[in-house]
Amino acid sequence: MTTAATETKAVLAPEEDGPVQYMQRTRDYYVALGYDNPYRWAYFDDVPFTPLKAPLARTRLGLITTAAPFQAEAGDQGPRAAYNAAAKFYKVYSLPTHSVPDLRISHVGYDRLHSSAEDINAYLPLARLKEAVAAGRIGELAPRLHGLPTNRSHRTTTETDAVEAARRCREDGVEAALLVPN
Amino acid sequence: MSLVARHLEAEGIPTVILGSAKDIVEHCGVPRFVFSDFPLGNSAGRPFDEASQRQTLELALRVLESAPAPRTTVQSPLRWTGPATWKRDYLDLSKLSPDAIAQRKKEFDVVKTVARGRREAT
Repeated sequence: MTTAATETKAVLAPEEDGPVQYMQRTRDYYVALGYDNPYRWAYFDDVPFTPLKAPLARTRLGLITTAAPFQAEAGDQGPRAAYNAAAKFYKVYSLPTHSVPDLRISHVGYDRLHSSAEDINAYLPLARLKEAVAAGRIGELAPRLHGLPTNRSHRTTTETDAVEAARRCREDGVEAALLVPN
Repeated sequence: MSLVARHLEAEGIPTVILGSAKDIVEHCGVPRFVFSDFPLGNSAGRPFDEASQRQTLELALRVLESAPAPRTTVQSPLRWTGPATWKRDYLDLSKLSPDAIAQRKKEFDVVKTVARGRREAT
């Protein structure tokens, strides 16, 4: 039958090609290492939602990143650097968007085996955002980007860092935000 | 970052997250999410591939404009260069001997101590 023939032609992707189950993988890994208190990821039933108030071409967009400013005294933060906890930061920071800030990701657990963090544009879309503003796709870029600490408790992120990031976004007149974790 | 998206949204600022850890972001529950099925560290597109980065950003902008409800996830059609075998490797215990696991624990204890020192000094 035609239907059956069409069905058999469908090409299934291999099962292991699905998205990586990071929560399970991470739990198993740290339990195997001997830590008996597995991390619990935040979970919520309700999710807030605010529609855009104006077309993007008339909207001021903010950028929030978990990348860290390069610190000369904090050891290797370059491409392929080992996980570098000394490069971590624990307060929200802000930097102007008119230049290109030197932001690195050696302080987080990115995939060091298959990725090298050599191209900042793969984890910080600032150059592409500027192109989108120049093309009129976005009204304007907020004058500052904001950096969000990682390695925090849910409580500190919610009650301190998120509040501070939101305060700075309001200060900058941000009308919509692009958030890029690493 | 998901917690910040939620907070901004509750304060009246619409958000979209670019990310590569689908399960973690969706577990938390965020308003809008563009998922790139890439190794962690490439949420904004493939390295040295401006077209891929442009396409990823444009997808995020369209999701920002058109998501009908919270928990909207859109998966980028882009694929990582090369075979999907990279997905096996992240924190893959099957390749680690007991000695290697003990070594990893030692290294992680150092990382935790350094991180704690940084945090307390802040």
